Amino acid sequence: MEHRKALSARHINKYFHEPATFQVLKEISFDVERGEFLSLVGKSGSGKSTLLYVLSSMDTDYEGDIAIDGETLTGKSQNDLAAFRNEHIGFVFQFHYLLPDFSVMDNVMLPALRLGKKTKEDIKEKAIQNLALLGLEDQALKSANKLSGGQQQRVAIARALINEPSIIMGDEPTGNLDSKNTEIVFDIFKDLAASKGQTIIAVTHDQEFAAKSDRILELSDGWMVD
Amino acid sequence: MIRSTNLKVAYAHLTSRVKQVLVAMLSVTFGISMYIFMNGFMTGVNDIQNKLAFSTLAHIRIFNDLPEDRSNLLASEFHENHLVNLRSPRVIQYTEGIKNADKIVTQIKNLPDVAGITSQVNLNVFFRNGATKANGVLSGIEALKEDELFGTSESIVAGTWHQLDHRSDAIVLGVGLAKRLNVNIDDNIIISTADGITRNFKIIGMIETTVGNVDNSKAYVRINAARQMLSKNRSYATDIQINVKEFNAADDLVEKIEPLTDYQIESWNLSNGQLKAGSDLRYIIAIAVSLTILLVAGFGIYNIMNMTVNEKIKEIAILKAMGFQGRDIVEIFLVQSVIIGLLGGVIGILFGSMVSVIVNHIPFQVGSLETLPMAYRASDYLSAFGFGMLTTFIAGYLPAKKASQVDPVFIIRG
Repeated sequence: MEHRKALSARHINKYFHEPATFQVLKEISFDVERGEFLSLVGKSGSGKSTLLYVLSSMDTDYEGDIAIDGETLTGKSQNDLAAFRNEHIGFVFQFHYLLPDFSVMDNVMLPALRLGKKTKEDIKEKAIQNLALLGLEDQALKSANKLSGGQQQRVAIARALINEPSIIMGDEPTGNLDSKNTEIVFDIFKDLAASKGQTIIAVTHDQEFAAKSDRILELSDGWMVD
Repeated sequence: MIRSTNLKVAYAHLTSRVKQVLVAMLSVTFGISMYIFMNGFMTGVNDIQNKLAFSTLAHIRIFNDLPEDRSNLLASEFHENHLVNLRSPRVIQYTEGIKNADKIVTQIKNLPDVAGITSQVNLNVFFRNGATKANGVLSGIEALKEDELFGTSESIVAGTWHQLDHRSDAIVLGVGLAKRLNVNIDDNIIISTADGITRNFKIIGMIETTVGNVDNSKAYVRINAARQMLSKNRSYATDIQINVKEFNAADDLVEKIEPLTDYQIESWNLSNGQLKAGSDLRYIIAIAVSLTILLVAGFGIYNIMNMTVNEKIKEIAILKAMGFQGRDIVEIFLVQSVIIGLLGGVIGILFGSMVSVIVNHIPFQVGSLETLPMAYRASDYLSAFGFGMLTTFIAGYLPAKKASQVDPVFIIRG
């Protein structure tokens, strides 16, 4: 039944070595089902963001095993991991990190162009769909840095969705947004999980946001709190 | 194959900071145009220098070298322990010059790399015009072939050169020599050899090569006239002068000629080492200076690409988070520097040739020069472009490599 799991983490331990050796993550094991909306919460320094980056395959300096969609990521090369992220993981960060030299449309299309599995026309169509989903269809041709903060964050989400990843990871995706935009983003996530079966894992400080998600996973001093 | 996505990102980066790109491009343009100009100028100078030198000097010369040490002729003939009794020894004159020059000339003429060959009879003589006299060199030559080898007729400033072949009493004098003797065209002068043979010649031309010892002490007559003055037969010559198609290959031809004759064979770089040293040194200076300039251009690109990488480090991190691989990042930044290099290179070639043409028109009236010399060789342009691209590539690769090693977690988490 392993393949039904979107993500499984087994005995994750991680250490920081600067300035002194310090264990950030301690024996963390959990599974995430497909279509589940999971919130990672905890105090500052509890290791929740660190855990997210370990799960995301960007941080490879850990002990334990991680599998996404039944594919073990632990031990793969950086390039293989990059290719994997490209296809299977979408990211939304606290800051939008759009590329300022590109239009909104190009920003959204870029991960799909990199993946190269669809024709440019298909990608364009998909990008327009995504932007429409987020209420941004009329902003498509604007330069990315001409948009408001809330709009930019929604563009970032549209970008994260372009390759229809099985998992969307958010590092405080609503951290910079006002309550109205926070609500919009939350609803989008909720809808993606419910209607498209995409798994959402979001680190958040926002209690209200977390409370509305399917499951809350709390970290404290590197331990998982049940 | 470069991914079109990477090209797209590279293009966006380039167009978002046109000013910096222009500066980087200008540094390449400057480097490449200076390379072209420096090398063109040095080649021009060397060409002029060689042309001047080879107006009197052949690439290869064959002559009869007398044995150096004539103090003990018996040493080579008899063993040390022999007692030798010499009776009524007699001094025999050594054979001077080349006896059967025609045979050697015919043999060499047909070798593949020979561009021209001529025989000469050179002798030291006294020139006399009434009370004034001067010593100098009389060169018996084959006017047409001599002209082929040295372009002598171009240096004629009065009278004619080609009549030398038809008149046995005609002589062409260096202008300096004519002045020393107070003679002019159509005047007669008397020439006497070391052996006391005297002959009358009529001046039909004057020559000015700007090479001092030619202009001031040399005179040309028909080769047979010179042979007569030495009482030698028709095939006699003191020197056989040979030109090679490519003068730098003279030594190769020397090797081919060596088995054909026992006479001394000498290539120009052996007899005039300073000429080769001078031109080699100028090339070294030109290449050192121009490579230094290209290196500076390389630093320009390196600097600007490094700045770009630092500026775009968050974008790089996000690209990597989205799944761009290290190779993609290298491509994105390398493509930028290569485009800068290509544009700068093309403009540099145009600008370099423009500077060359302008410098070539600056008046410089020294010796036989009218303007500053300049050579336009395709190889200079190609190597300037090649070196320029190489520098750009290296200068662009280092920051690109650095960018590809960016750790996205470290950058995104801050």
